[in-house]
Amino acid sequence: MARRKERIDDEKKSYSAVFLLGVGMLLIGGVWAVWDDNISRRPWKKYQVDFSELQIERAKQAITDEDARLAKDPKYQDVSKALSAAEQSIADGETARQLAAAKQAEAAAKVHVDERDLDLRIVKSKLEEGWYEYEHALLTGGASDAAKAHIDELQVQKKEIENKLAQAQAQMQQYTSQAAEIRSNVENLEKEKRDLEKERERLQQRLENIVLLKIGPLDLPKIPKIQQVVLNEFDRNAYDQGVARVDRCTSCHAGIDKVGFDADPQPFATHPARDVLITKHPTDKFGCTPCHGGQGAAVNSVDMAHGEVKYWEHPLLRGDMVEAGCPACHTNLRLPHADQIAKGEQLFEQLGCVGCHLVQGYGDLPKTAPYLRRIGAKVNPEWLVSWIQNPQAYRPHTRMPNFMFTRDQASAIAAYLWSATQKESQDWLAAHPDAPAGVDPGNAALVEQGKAIADSVGCRGCHGFAPEESPARLGKTKDIAPNLSNIAQKTDARWIYNWLKNPRGYSPEARMPSLRLSDQEAVALTSYLLTLGASGAPAGGDGAALQSPQLVKDGGALVRKFGCGGCHNIPGMEQESRIGVELTVFGQKGLEELFFGNHTDIPETWYDWTYNKIKTPRTYETERIEQLMPQFSLDDEDVQSLLVFLKSRTERRTPHKYKPTDLGREEQLVAGRRLVERYNCIGCHVIENHGGAIRAFYKDSPTLAPPLLNGEGAKVQPDWLFGFLREPIPLRPWLKVRMPTFGLSDAETNAIVEYFLAQDKVQIPFVYVNDDGLPHEYVEAGKALASPDVFNCFSCHQRGEIKPEGPPEGWAPDLALARHRLNPEWIIAWLRNPSALMPGTKMPTFYNVEDEVPDGPEDILGGNEQKQIEALRDFVLTLHKASEQRAPLAGAQAAQANTAPANDGDDRQM
Amino acid sequence: MIDRVCREWGAARVAGLVLGLVAVAWTAPAGAYEAGPVANGGSISGTVKYKGTPPAAAKLDVNKDVEVCGAGGAKMSRELVVAADGGIQYAVVSIPGIAKGKPFPDAKPTLDQKGCEYMPHITVVQAGGEVEVLNSDGILHNIHSYPQENKNPPVNVAQPKFKKTIVLKSDSLKEPERIKLACDVHGWMQGWLIVENNPYLAITDQTGQFKLTDVPPGDYEITVWHEKLGEAKQKVTVKAGADTAANFELAGK
Repeated sequence: MARRKERIDDEKKSYSAVFLLGVGMLLIGGVWAVWDDNISRRPWKKYQVDFSELQIERAKQAITDEDARLAKDPKYQDVSKALSAAEQSIADGETARQLAAAKQAEAAAKVHVDERDLDLRIVKSKLEEGWYEYEHALLTGGASDAAKAHIDELQVQKKEIENKLAQAQAQMQQYTSQAAEIRSNVENLEKEKRDLEKERERLQQRLENIVLLKIGPLDLPKIPKIQQVVLNEFDRNAYDQGVARVDRCTSCHAGIDKVGFDADPQPFATHPARDVLITKHPTDKFGCTPCHGGQGAAVNSVDMAHGEVKYWEHPLLRGDMVEAGCPACHTNLRLPHADQIAKGEQLFEQLGCVGCHLVQGYGDLPKTAPYLRRIGAKVNPEWLVSWIQNPQAYRPHTRMPNFMFTRDQASAIAAYLWSATQKESQDWLAAHPDAPAGVDPGNAALVEQGKAIADSVGCRGCHGFAPEESPARLGKTKDIAPNLSNIAQKTDARWIYNWLKNPRGYSPEARMPSLRLSDQEAVALTSYLLTLGASGAPAGGDGAALQSPQLVKDGGALVRKFGCGGCHNIPGMEQESRIGVELTVFGQKGLEELFFGNHTDIPETWYDWTYNKIKTPRTYETERIEQLMPQFSLDDEDVQSLLVFLKSRTERRTPHKYKPTDLGREEQLVAGRRLVERYNCIGCHVIENHGGAIRAFYKDSPTLAPPLLNGEGAKVQPDWLFGFLREPIPLRPWLKVRMPTFGLSDAETNAIVEYFLAQDKVQIPFVYVNDDGLPHEYVEAGKALASPDVFNCFSCHQRGEIKPEGPPEGWAPDLALARHRLNPEWIIAWLRNPSALMPGTKMPTFYNVEDEVPDGPEDILGGNEQKQIEALRDFVLTLHKASEQRAPLAGAQAAQANTAPANDGDDRQM
Repeated sequence: MIDRVCREWGAARVAGLVLGLVAVAWTAPAGAYEAGPVANGGSISGTVKYKGTPPAAAKLDVNKDVEVCGAGGAKMSRELVVAADGGIQYAVVSIPGIAKGKPFPDAKPTLDQKGCEYMPHITVVQAGGEVEVLNSDGILHNIHSYPQENKNPPVNVAQPKFKKTIVLKSDSLKEPERIKLACDVHGWMQGWLIVENNPYLAITDQTGQFKLTDVPPGDYEITVWHEKLGEAKQKVTVKAGADTAANFELAGK
């Protein structure tokens, strides 16, 4: 039998150590739980508190600075000094005694007033009692006479007391005003001082608003809490239902929409260009991730919040890559503070990327490269082969990329082109007999004349005439128009002459406009151009070396394979589709979709893949995978712009309510700008503050450069502009440079007119001027104002056929054109301040409308500036009557201008 | 640690920063000029000459308003006036960096348009000063200013017949700069406005001579500038009460 174990007396055992341990662990666990929940897992709290402290520190600093400024401000010092002096003066001496006496007397008078007031109240009570007695007597039939007499007596007493009270009050008032009189100086100064301290008061108020609690010298920051913006129905879920997006970025980036933290490090910094970007996109309406990407709802770590973790599809767009966010809402990408995306778009459109790659929204752009259907009439076969093999060898900055063809491949392509274009080329050659006999590059005088024409009519707005000379580049390395420094090697006199005379006669797609050169001018210019470079073989020729049918067949296959027809108009290639991959959603391609070839040296990111693809297009080629993309040789900066543009290509669709309200206007801007860039209007004109390359040649005399077109939409009448674009007429006789005839279609012309209107936000484009309704008084007054005795407008301005004195360089536009050309409202704005509308204009300011001084003569319309300006406008609007001006669309005359005789260029110069 | 907990909770935290009143030192704008009496100052004088053979004097083409502008016979261009011995007129000698010296003599100089020429050809005005522009011709002129370094806003204001005087206000003459003046009505009219914050400017006379007076003793770099010939610099040492010679030669461009 087993022995029972001896029982231990539990009551004698101590568990305190266990309890202590348990309690200790519980305590530690509790503290840890609180710590972890509030601090370790809430890193954003620290940022918010730190920012609050920074904010308080800044606010205090601002107050300190303001104090220091006030201490330096002589006016404030004067006021302070005067105030303390005034206070001092009423604190002692005779004034002080007077003030004390006045105050004492005032107090005494107040006692007196109070006594009388009490007396009055007593007598009023007695009167109430008397009335009661009297009425009671009447009702009970008692004796009412005595009561009535008592009332009368009391009434007399009341009157007396009232008089005395009035006297006492007047007395007191007198003493009060005496005291106030003595103090008035002090009070005025106090008010003045308070006014000077207003800014300080405001700063103090601001500090109080950001402080939670103030204990002595401590200013306690506010309790941090999650800051979030909810964008309702911003995203779509898998069932295409609208779901909200939540951005909590401002929980850490607390200073992003606050002024004054520009120099602070992240996450406290103010948003760059806050006044534009945040004003236009308030954080509480747009959040942050719609532009920047990232994981808006995440706050537990920086990497998570920035979306720079595996599987988050929209990581933060860093640096200028953020501009890839703009197209999510904007159609017009010429936006302030977003140069890269605009540049990227321009490069994408104009480098010919769209020839091979479809991107929705860019699919129907006209072909980028020259028309080749008559190439056999323009160049010789040898030149063509060399060009195809390496375009940069002939023209280092051409847009044509290098396909790295072998000599044989280049010959095959040339053979195909030669044979496919033979008929049209021969027809063109037959229709355009040789250049006039006058063309002679050996005639120095003629060449000199041609050079003068090239320098003056506007060629230099687009073309460079010496190697490396370029008026304006597309990106960093490409020329917008061909450099002509060795044009003689490429083509011959016949082609140049006919091209100059009528570019559309050779290529119906020509971007080069007609400068309306006379035959003689064209001869001179052709002669000059033929001196540029060593002359090559004449164009055309039989191309004997390219006649082999096999060669032609091989060439056709190459042209098809390399997609030449994407950019060029080539016979036989009309039905070919784009050979490249569609890039519509390229910006969101994942790494699994990007083929790195045999590369192990390229970091596996979207950016690195795309950078290397654009930089060295065939770098991912392997033995099995052939690649066709040609070498563009772009500068790194241009590649970066293209990366921004490509990154912006996603399938994201932003709900309408987040988009700009004037999308229609944006579309007009985009459509017009494409044309303005395609025809390189900006080579000569400054439009939307861009372009005007030709102005570099007019540094010393900017008034001889083509006009600036900022504000053109508000300036001219749209129907006039339409007519002018179709058939330009001379407006500024002093200019040697000519507005060319572009041969625009109606649709193109309308798009350009709308583009100008859209730039100036003109809502009501067409204007009606009631010629008979112009007030006679104003027209007469305007006539007087314009007369030689007053403003002498016609000292410079042409007026129909009446030309001003002096040489044309000193002339100003024909005011007879104003009626049909200018917007009447614009004339007013122009007269008020010409330099504001067109900086650098020759037109001086006649009225300084900002000051009060009337600048016009006092005897006309009472000297009223506004009325005089209107009168001048009304008068100018009548000037078309005096001279029979040709309207812009008066076909016959304008057409004449087009084909005007050779004698002088004046009537065709713009 | 407690401190950190407290602060995360927004509770009390001992403020480490009690900001003392920091008086922000008032800093003078760069290039400020301090005017005052100059005791025992020295002077700098010399001649500005043309290097090489000077071009023939050019005649102005007066082609408009001839009855007013052409009065008094043929007018010569003042762009480049060289005397027989090579002395250049209308060159401006100055001490650009001088910090201290005599006060500006004339706060509001007068510029006249007479015979369709600017009188004087070069007007000197204190930075922040004003210029009174007269129209003695009684025909339409306009004052179109071309600030050479775009430090001041350009001005283009008409002065019609009936306006005898206009004032170029100080807001367009704030910063030291050379400003070209032209009249768009009369293309040949050209003049200069020199805005400077110190009065040490001398314009050479017909013989090319200049003299800067009351210069506080010290080392200076003086500059000569001519509208067609550009700039040249020279270091000089001015001694109390003595004249220092400084001659320049400017080559044609």
